[in-house]
Amino acid sequence: MRTKEEYLIRYKDGNLYCELADIWIDPSKPVKKALITHAHFDHFTFGCEEYISTKETAILIKERAGDNIKIKTFEYGEEFKINGIKISFHPSGHILGSSQIRFIFAEEKWLISGDFKLQKDETCKQYEIVKTDYLISECTFGLPIFKWDETNKIANDISKWITNSPEKTSLLFCYSLGKAQRLLYEISKTNFKGNIYSHGSIYKMNNCYKELGIDIKDTIKIESKKKIDELKGSLVLLPPSLSKGSYLKNFKNIQTAFASGWMSIRALRKRSGYDKGFAISDHADWDGILEVIKKSEAKNVFFHHGDSEALSKYLVEKESINILFFGK
Amino acid sequence: MSLNKFSELFCDLDSMNSTNNKIEVLKSYFLSNEPIDNSWAIYLLTGKSNKRFISGRYLKNLFAQIYKYPQWLIDTCYLKVGDSAEVITLLLKNKTTSRHKELSNISLNELLSKTIPELSKLNEKEKNFKIKNMWETLPEDNHLIFNKILTGTFRVGVSIGLITKSISKLINIDEEIISHRLMGNFEPSIDSYKFLVNKNINLQELNSKPFPFLLANTIEDKIFKHSINDFQFEWKYDGIRMQLIKRSGNVSLWTRGQELVNESFPELVEKMSHIKDDFVLDGELLVWNFKEQIACDFSLLQKRINRKSPTRSIQIKYPIIFIAYDLLEINGRDIREIKLENRRIELEKYFSKCQNKTENNISDIFKICDLIFPKDWPDALTYKEKSRENNTEGLIIKKKTSIYSSGRKKGIWWKYKVDPMQLDAVLIYAKGGSGRRAGLYTDYSFALWKDQELIKFASAYSGLTNIEIKELDKWIRKNTIEKFGPVRSLKPEMVFEISFEKIQISKRHKSGIAVRFPRITKWRKDKKINDADSLDNAYELMKKIS
Repeated sequence: MRTKEEYLIRYKDGNLYCELADIWIDPSKPVKKALITHAHFDHFTFGCEEYISTKETAILIKERAGDNIKIKTFEYGEEFKINGIKISFHPSGHILGSSQIRFIFAEEKWLISGDFKLQKDETCKQYEIVKTDYLISECTFGLPIFKWDETNKIANDISKWITNSPEKTSLLFCYSLGKAQRLLYEISKTNFKGNIYSHGSIYKMNNCYKELGIDIKDTIKIESKKKIDELKGSLVLLPPSLSKGSYLKNFKNIQTAFASGWMSIRALRKRSGYDKGFAISDHADWDGILEVIKKSEAKNVFFHHGDSEALSKYLVEKESINILFFGK
Repeated sequence: MSLNKFSELFCDLDSMNSTNNKIEVLKSYFLSNEPIDNSWAIYLLTGKSNKRFISGRYLKNLFAQIYKYPQWLIDTCYLKVGDSAEVITLLLKNKTTSRHKELSNISLNELLSKTIPELSKLNEKEKNFKIKNMWETLPEDNHLIFNKILTGTFRVGVSIGLITKSISKLINIDEEIISHRLMGNFEPSIDSYKFLVNKNINLQELNSKPFPFLLANTIEDKIFKHSINDFQFEWKYDGIRMQLIKRSGNVSLWTRGQELVNESFPELVEKMSHIKDDFVLDGELLVWNFKEQIACDFSLLQKRINRKSPTRSIQIKYPIIFIAYDLLEINGRDIREIKLENRRIELEKYFSKCQNKTENNISDIFKICDLIFPKDWPDALTYKEKSRENNTEGLIIKKKTSIYSSGRKKGIWWKYKVDPMQLDAVLIYAKGGSGRRAGLYTDYSFALWKDQELIKFASAYSGLTNIEIKELDKWIRKNTIEKFGPVRSLKPEMVFEISFEKIQISKRHKSGIAVRFPRITKWRKDKKINDADSLDNAYELMKKIS
């Protein structure tokens, strides 16, 4: 048994850290050198001296955080070395540019899954199975009650929700980066053919996706002084941060919905305050996490993000997988 | 029509906040479905019955057994979801691979009048097999409804009022009439639905049914601007609100919860049936101390409530009384539209004689509610403060000119409750909530000091705002000492003001006291745990009151 200081990757000050390479993974505070799995702001922090990511992630980060950030980029699958450790990015299927990161040192393989999903998503590269000895996985939806429906079923439900209330403006709340573009892509394949508006923060990300070659429908940037009649029967994509407070007063006769994996639970749906919830997620569901653990052939698993107590116990009992606990 | 339609209706109602939308959805459901299915839908949606065919625990065990899930994993899921029927529904997703969904066209009527009643008669093995079979042959969208009906947890945000409104709009008949038709027992049948939507109003048909109850609102400051002479004052008794009906010789006792309780109180039915007149009285049923002419504690009434056909000795041990507040109908004449002060005159005219006359004496079980006559509002306040002395909860204030309409109508009747008793206590345990509060720690236990020790004295669930609940939930997760299943013991740090209605000695509790209706009235962030009250304070409070 190794002590936790002897693992290639471990927790230091609440963040994942590889001491041999002196490099941090998605650190929550400024450090010298940081590997970034994807461009969501809970995985990126300002002020690091140097960032390393995929090309797409770098572009999305710069679009959101400004140009004068130093980011070194690599292609998926391209190996690079830091202090003798081989490192490479692999698609994780979460959002455009998102990646798993593999480390190889002294014939020992480590894989950080990053945020991932297995479901098909036309707006980013499909999750790639990567073999490893040690797996550090996310566990956002680590209970068997979470099972995602096919994406096109959810898209059709959304389409029906809009078209059933032609006199209303349908406000759909979703994360600006990733979820919004995926929804946009899927909804444009449904029967709903009305106008789609998006909030500035989403509009900006849409453009970025398009520049990176993702084929998504054009939307109209929402202006606060839009005529109410124009919006009747349309879909408006908004970030969740605007769901509470005075912003909604800009609209009349609305119905609201939230697109998130948590919406599969009735109590959470009711408590959320939205009229409706669509259970669609960019994270893996229970079966997805189990599949990745199995196919990665990892013998040792460590969970990072989310409540992993139940999943850990299940894996130990049912699959005889060794669960590591690094502490924080 | 099929169960699918009802599942859709449930889903629609569940995801709508606007009352108007809900009414529209209900209307179109009633229009497009068979009367028999409509009557079942009303039966389920109004919660007329929540009969439990099997327990949530049973359902979870069965699922674990069939699909080889560890029990603890299902329990963990339950903590997040808060409803057994929903947990099983979520876990069943993609599990039932059978492509033959033979039951995809089963009707609501067939499910409720045949399948489920038959299922509940089977022995355990057959029952398990049948439930598994239902899971496999019902379309996935219907699992939730099926599981909820089985476990008797069918609740959705639809009130009787909403059903009343939709039916009223559907056939263009006054809500009052529909509401009256919906009172009391509702046995699902083609006839009961047809009766509900009958466009001809036949008062005879409503004979055995109570009128919709008129309810009081919490007092508002603006009332004090009015002259005290505009109002009638009564004590607010803590019993069972009831309509006592005698029509065509038959007596029926209906509670506000629309239950017929004749069997629990046969002595009242017997006595009242000797009165010559027909009538509908609104009043309160209590266990009464006849020697001191004062209401007994609600706990004594509880000994009678759920006991059908009570023995003679029970009847003597817990003697009941009906206190009449109001007369709504006399000898077939509906007088709800006349003013309260005039109804009171009628009430006294017909019933004071029954209290005195020897040949028809009912004074050992019946009493007209005494009125109180405060001189002015400060005097009314003094009466209110005294209400604990005669075991009442405060005052009921009624506008003398009010007619007897239905529901919690604003601006005519008020309740003026005595200020609650309060103690500052320390939060020591928290438990996960269920239903809407699943996944949050919302059930709390509070303690008082005894020497250097904190002794649990009450549990409370209500009183915090949603924002406070979330904040406290976060704190609870960070300050857990130990977990026992769903319960966490907590670092004693947080002080809350707990209000309650009654305090009494209890041998069943470690603290030696029991309180009624405890609730959180303030998060005392300004207080340290040493500032919290002690059990001695609680005993003092008890002494002061008795």
